[in-house]
Amino acid sequence: MQSPRGLIFKRRASNVVSKLLGTVATLFGLSWLVWILIVTLLNGARALSPHIFTDITPPPGVEGGGLANALVGSALMSVLGVLIGAPLGIAAGTYLAEFAERRPVWRESIRFINDILLSAPSIVLGLFVYTIYVRQVGHFSGFAGAIALSLIVLPVVVRTTDETLRLVPNMMREAALSLGIPRWKVTVQVLYRAALPGILTGVLLGLARITGETAPLLFTALNNQFWSGNVNGPTASVPVVIFQFAMSPYDNWHSLAWAGAFVVTMVVLVLSVGARAYLLKNRMDSNA
Amino acid sequence: MPSEASLADPRASGDSAAAPPAVAAPGRTKIAVKGLDFYYRGYHALKNVNLEVPERQITAIIGPSGCGKSTLLRIFNRIYSVYAGLEATGQVLLDGENILDPHYSLNRLRTRVGMVFQKAVPFPLSIFENVAFGLRHHIKLSRGEMEDRVEKALREAALWDEVKDKLHTSGLGLSGGQQQRLCIARAVALRPQVLLLDEPTSALDPIATGRIEQLLSDLQGEYTIVIVTHNMQQAARVSTYTAYMYLGEMVEFGSTGELFTRPQRRQTEDYITGRFG
Repeated sequence: MQSPRGLIFKRRASNVVSKLLGTVATLFGLSWLVWILIVTLLNGARALSPHIFTDITPPPGVEGGGLANALVGSALMSVLGVLIGAPLGIAAGTYLAEFAERRPVWRESIRFINDILLSAPSIVLGLFVYTIYVRQVGHFSGFAGAIALSLIVLPVVVRTTDETLRLVPNMMREAALSLGIPRWKVTVQVLYRAALPGILTGVLLGLARITGETAPLLFTALNNQFWSGNVNGPTASVPVVIFQFAMSPYDNWHSLAWAGAFVVTMVVLVLSVGARAYLLKNRMDSNA
Repeated sequence: MPSEASLADPRASGDSAAAPPAVAAPGRTKIAVKGLDFYYRGYHALKNVNLEVPERQITAIIGPSGCGKSTLLRIFNRIYSVYAGLEATGQVLLDGENILDPHYSLNRLRTRVGMVFQKAVPFPLSIFENVAFGLRHHIKLSRGEMEDRVEKALREAALWDEVKDKLHTSGLGLSGGQQQRLCIARAVALRPQVLLLDEPTSALDPIATGRIEQLLSDLQGEYTIVIVTHNMQQAARVSTYTAYMYLGEMVEFGSTGELFTRPQRRQTEDYITGRFG
């Protein structure tokens, strides 16, 4: 039998220890992120110049140059990837949340498969598109890259759409249906509006996710040293340029790779933080 | 299908001997429930329910939690059919037509039978659009006509004076009681014949509740109102007829004054005097 004082001491001690362990673990995890950010920012800021956004990637051994073609290519493929993946994802997520109630086994199977797709290694998706598309048409292209990226966006958007729609209270569905309005119209005109912040956040997070992807582009969009507005031909992208330049022996390429890393990191950071802030603001507004 | 005449006379409906007799309500019967059973994934939730809801009166359905009163109400506009595994058998006659018949159009049923829910759920639209939403789907109206209909509905719901200067702000910005009146306006905008209310004031404070009750007594005469409530005082205050349900069965139905002062059945008396158990 322990004295009350002993018990109190024991509780306080275990409280202090668990708090300490929790704090240390958090700091340990966060320190890597902070380290990566600091190194990227320092090296990237040093390499940053207006030429990055105006000049195309230089040939080996040539000074100067920029990443303009890669930035445009990245933007093009990412936006195209979202344009392909997001509508499909929203449609599939809507089906799961709103129209699959009478087929629960089927619905749960799709959810499970979608979760597998969500965690599929992105290089596998690249190889998949290489096999079914690039090999068939016989050449690399920005469009193939966009398809590979859309396969990454797809499960993210399916999941967020499904989950946000399920958060809409059932009474809202019933209230709209009890006005004699058909299910599809209720979904499009009422439920989408209620779920819009969540769905939009999913799309933005999908965009953030693919902006920094390298692996799916290696076998699909390849790369391009020159300006190319042609999505049907090889297309440059920032991550692939970083990948190539960072492994090269040229100091100028190294510095451009840092600049690219900096730009991509900032874009992804702004998109992710922006998307989450937007969601948070909307949640708080609707709770007020 | 029975004729209108036999509906007016409850004795003509051949209920089984085990079922409590449906009490005759004076005046025309709007909704006649005959031998209604309801199954919730195999669970027998309503057992041979018989009821005649009189036209243009307020009928309250009371009973302890889980007795099936909301289930019964949700059959009147077939909103239960949204979910899988729910099944109703028997007859629910609205003006003599069986609404459980699969050929009875849901669209037609729901423009005739409006519903207000326990929690006010305005659509994420402006106040004006909340009321106009159902109308837009069902009828083509000019801008001016639409404005008239919306104003009329908001006046009927006793909300117009409070919102006339902010019709185009979000319906979510209103107070709880105002939101519930907005939901009533949304339902009456379609000019239904029947208004179903499922514990409409359970989330409201006494003042907001009082306003809704006042509103209901203003609306009776215009609409056939069926209100489900767990609050017996509310049933006594607002309704003309009251039905008492217990464990999925219709125990007693009669005029509110009779049911609360001279209940015919012991079970009813135990419940309304609080000796329930």
